[in-house]
Amino acid sequence: MKKRVISIVLSAVMAAALLAGCASTGSSAPAAESAPAEEAAPAEEAAPSEEAAAPEAGAATYALITKSAGNPYNEKEAEGFQEVIDAMGGTCIIQHPEAATADAQIAVIQSLISQGVSSIAIAANDANALSAALQEAADAGIKICTLDSDVVADSRATFCNQAGVQEVGQALIDAVYDLTGGEGQYAILSATSQATNQNAWIDSMKAISEGDAKYAGLELVEVAYGDDEPQKSTDQTQALLQKYPDLKVICAPTTVGIAAAAKVLQDQGSSVVLTGLGLPSEMAEYIGADDAHSCPYMFLWNPIDLGRLAAYTSIALVNGDITGAVGDSFTAGDMGDYTLTGLADGSGSEIILGPPFQFNPENIDEWKSVY
Amino acid sequence: MAGKSGREISATPKGGITKILSWEGALILVFIAVIILGKSISPNYTLNNVLREMQKYLPEIFMMFGMGFILVLGDIDISVGSIVCLCATLTCIAANAGVPFILAALLCILIGTCCGMLNGFLATKFTELPTMIITLGTQIIFRGIAEMSLGSGGSVSYKNSKDIAVLAKKIGPFPISFFLVIILGVVMITVLSRTTFGRKLYAIGSNKTASYYAGIKVQRTRFLCYTILGTLAGLCALFLLSALYGANTTTGQGFEMEVIAMCVFGGIATTGGKGNLIGGLIAAFIIVCLRIALGQINMNTQLILVIIGAMLIVSVLIPQIKNALMPKKQKV
Repeated sequence: MKKRVISIVLSAVMAAALLAGCASTGSSAPAAESAPAEEAAPAEEAAPSEEAAAPEAGAATYALITKSAGNPYNEKEAEGFQEVIDAMGGTCIIQHPEAATADAQIAVIQSLISQGVSSIAIAANDANALSAALQEAADAGIKICTLDSDVVADSRATFCNQAGVQEVGQALIDAVYDLTGGEGQYAILSATSQATNQNAWIDSMKAISEGDAKYAGLELVEVAYGDDEPQKSTDQTQALLQKYPDLKVICAPTTVGIAAAAKVLQDQGSSVVLTGLGLPSEMAEYIGADDAHSCPYMFLWNPIDLGRLAAYTSIALVNGDITGAVGDSFTAGDMGDYTLTGLADGSGSEIILGPPFQFNPENIDEWKSVY
Repeated sequence: MAGKSGREISATPKGGITKILSWEGALILVFIAVIILGKSISPNYTLNNVLREMQKYLPEIFMMFGMGFILVLGDIDISVGSIVCLCATLTCIAANAGVPFILAALLCILIGTCCGMLNGFLATKFTELPTMIITLGTQIIFRGIAEMSLGSGGSVSYKNSKDIAVLAKKIGPFPISFFLVIILGVVMITVLSRTTFGRKLYAIGSNKTASYYAGIKVQRTRFLCYTILGTLAGLCALFLLSALYGANTTTGQGFEMEVIAMCVFGGIATTGGKGNLIGGLIAAFIIVCLRIALGQINMNTQLILVIIGAMLIVSVLIPQIKNALMPKKQKV
């Protein structure tokens, strides 16, 4: 009997503490406000006093949620994001979830809702699982955009897409044009024959070269499929070299394919050169302008620029310059003007970063440790 | 009753003043301290905000009650995270195939119960095997089945998310799952501390052989506890679905450790026969409220994990230090 009474008393005390501790929101809030805001963004040293004075411009808080901590690619995105927000005097919050899961990202989103941030930019760990949390954020008046990897279109305003099909196709065909010297045979080493993004890029390359007399001298001899397996990609590369003795360039728009082909070409000392889309960390030893290296330059996206674009997009959304509708346009600082385009399935809008970033002998050392 | 962990927690009633000085009393003080800390470091630490953020963690507390039973028995179950993943995955697939919401919800709880029964079956048939190893096996199996069901995409979404979202509704500022935690809490705390069934768990946890000779159906009781935990994992999965609108290969990852941490912090010894669910419940709220507070000042999430880990170690150490300073008469 005594124990039951004690249990009830303990529970009551706990409930009371919860209620009493949390209920009084109004009075104590303003006093405590300044301290945590500074703790929240240690890097935000620029003019904290103005912020307190000018609630309109500076008081906005822009948050970025990455996929996981310790991910160098995400760190670079965060770096770009922070740079832009700091420059315009806003408060920047960069949060990494405790694990690379949607569940962990939800905890961060919920916390940011409590803090009443102005915008959230997020690299989603799952396309569907964040819907409910992002909807709650949107209901609380928070502007939401995604970058790097998207969520279902109706739970965000827009998506900062690092890889526009047209831009990738153009960059690749121009590289082939440059490396062949304007005419000659080239082959494409792709992933699988069903890979959506690969096929879109390859179709885009074909369409551009057919539509412009400039590329008339180029001859695409074969599209080979290495299925994104290192061994099969190696075999396919060797087969291409045997079948086409006059081959000048191999273009591999896949990170697995380009790494495998680079090794084959470099080991054999082949005169065929390579370009495509590759990871700097995997490709660093093959990139060089001389004959000892198989790949003069290649492409991928620049995560810093993607972070900066996400920051400008967040600012534009918060200021009301854009709403996320297709056709909206805004100026992203020194990155120029951007227009929101429709997704292929018509479900929402996206902003394409621009042409992919070129990795060449000059910058590869800086990037190989990044991703 | 000090035993290995040295914490003064047991099902046997004690006098008034010792109760206040007990582990639960200390936990209440820590809880109040966490609330005060939250209020002082974050202006956004309001009742509404805390309850809203808490909603994500509440389903895990369901499982804490079941895990408490298992730990009191001297067993452990590290497969609950995978059970949650499997329940959520199969429920999504069933619901998307046209199974009505009510049936899908029942299915979710049923799958959890079956998984718990399998754990219980293995644990009671192969008593020579440590339950840690048995449930490590089923952990891999359950998640494996879930991943196979998910297929190559590794993710499934609940198409009629309006149905499932009903469970995420709130009554005032309180989410439905909050009331469920309270109801489950009252039931499970009562069962463990005030029924013969509860006493049997402590007896088994203290000495299996003696309990057997005392006429307690040891294996049947263990089987039942695993089944209860499985059912609660199914319930957890159901409420998780109401927030996630889907499942993927990482759903429920690490839940088992968070749930065990709540129990241990609450004073339930993993060696069995010790602790109670009141402690576990308060500890669960301490951990959740502290996470929310530190999250609101945007502390590095990894650092938050370090702090909670350190708290756990300290909570186990304090009684040891206390024992060393104040040695009891009958020390062996």
